[in-house]
Amino acid sequence: MDNPLHPFELHPLVPLSLFGLDISINKAVLVMWIVVALVLILFIRARSSGSLIPTKLQSLAEMLVDFIRGIIEDTMGKDGMRYFPLISALFLFILFCNLVGLIPGSYTVTSQLVVTGVFAVSVYALSVIIGFSVHGAKFLGVLVPPGTPGWLIPLMIPIELISQLARPISLAVRLFANMTAGHVILGVLFGLTIAGGVLIGWLPFAFTVALYALELGIAFIQAYIFTVLTCVYMGDAIHPH
Amino acid sequence: MPQFDTHFFSSLIFWEVLSFGILLWILYKFALPPILEGLETRERKIRESIEQAEQNRTSAEQRLQEYEKKLQGAAQEAEGILNEARQKAQRLFEENEQRIRSETERIKEETTQDIDRERRRALQEVRGQTADLALLIAEKVLSRSLADEDHTRLAKEALDAVSAQQPKVGGKE
Repeated sequence: MDNPLHPFELHPLVPLSLFGLDISINKAVLVMWIVVALVLILFIRARSSGSLIPTKLQSLAEMLVDFIRGIIEDTMGKDGMRYFPLISALFLFILFCNLVGLIPGSYTVTSQLVVTGVFAVSVYALSVIIGFSVHGAKFLGVLVPPGTPGWLIPLMIPIELISQLARPISLAVRLFANMTAGHVILGVLFGLTIAGGVLIGWLPFAFTVALYALELGIAFIQAYIFTVLTCVYMGDAIHPH
Repeated sequence: MPQFDTHFFSSLIFWEVLSFGILLWILYKFALPPILEGLETRERKIRESIEQAEQNRTSAEQRLQEYEKKLQGAAQEAEGILNEARQKAQRLFEENEQRIRSETERIKEETTQDIDRERRRALQEVRGQTADLALLIAEKVLSRSLADEDHTRLAKEALDAVSAQQPKVGGKE
């Protein structure tokens, strides 16, 4: 049976380097470009037909935009609309990476911890920057929840610090682990299908079909969760406690 | 796990940041503003259309009530006019009847008077003629010398002639 982690392996397709930094193009990079192209095609087409009565493509794009707008307004309020382009680009990039990754033979970019890590750390860093730029040194107050008795402060600060640091880590690991696990299970079940032959193979195959549907849902839900948490962190920075 | 192979980290991070940056920039510059604007325009249009429709409905209902009231008024007016016409016709009819009756009465009266007058005149005439005949008979009796039987016979003839004439005159009445 194939190694179920085999689909996550990368091989440089076009070796490239920039100032000694390896920037070789591999399958994940190609899929990233495809994702960017798909999102842009969808949104540019939707924009060019920007009539009052929407076309199908326009409806889809508008549904996504409205969905993201809803998330932002629910978590950050009206002020959050300043970050609308960033949040929507993040949501669309992750969503399309997750979905394109489900196409057999393609690559799930979000199953790379380094990719989700860059997003998570950047988003968290941005929320901290927003917090300090809006509230100055007062933003350090997030480390002390309101109503904490004075003698508990030395205990609370390390705990809150850890909880703050856990944010980007959990954000990165959640997406990476979900995407990886889903594909590993699909891979294992496919392996069983092949190994089982016609006689018994139909059973794992039936599971693959069901799981595939579940994975489609997870692709959407994980993109949603990542976006919502991003908004929550940024919202916390704008309106702490 | 292949994901922890640090060999690809640099290229993945580089291309991720670059691709995401391009995506964000194009979305921010070209794609999102018109779509957001379109959404807002549509929301506004729909809200306005609903308000407009609500207004139209209210005014239509008002107008309907007005028309119904007017219609009711018109029906009442028509009823009034009809009643008046009926009364007028009745009155005219009665007047005509009255007039015809009195006219008939008058004509009858006149006719009766005429007939009466004619009858009296005829009687007068008959009386005159009777006197003439009596004179004639007397003359005949005197002018001829006749036997007694002749006298009697002649007188009888003359009287017959008179009585034969008299019913003829009376029959005219």
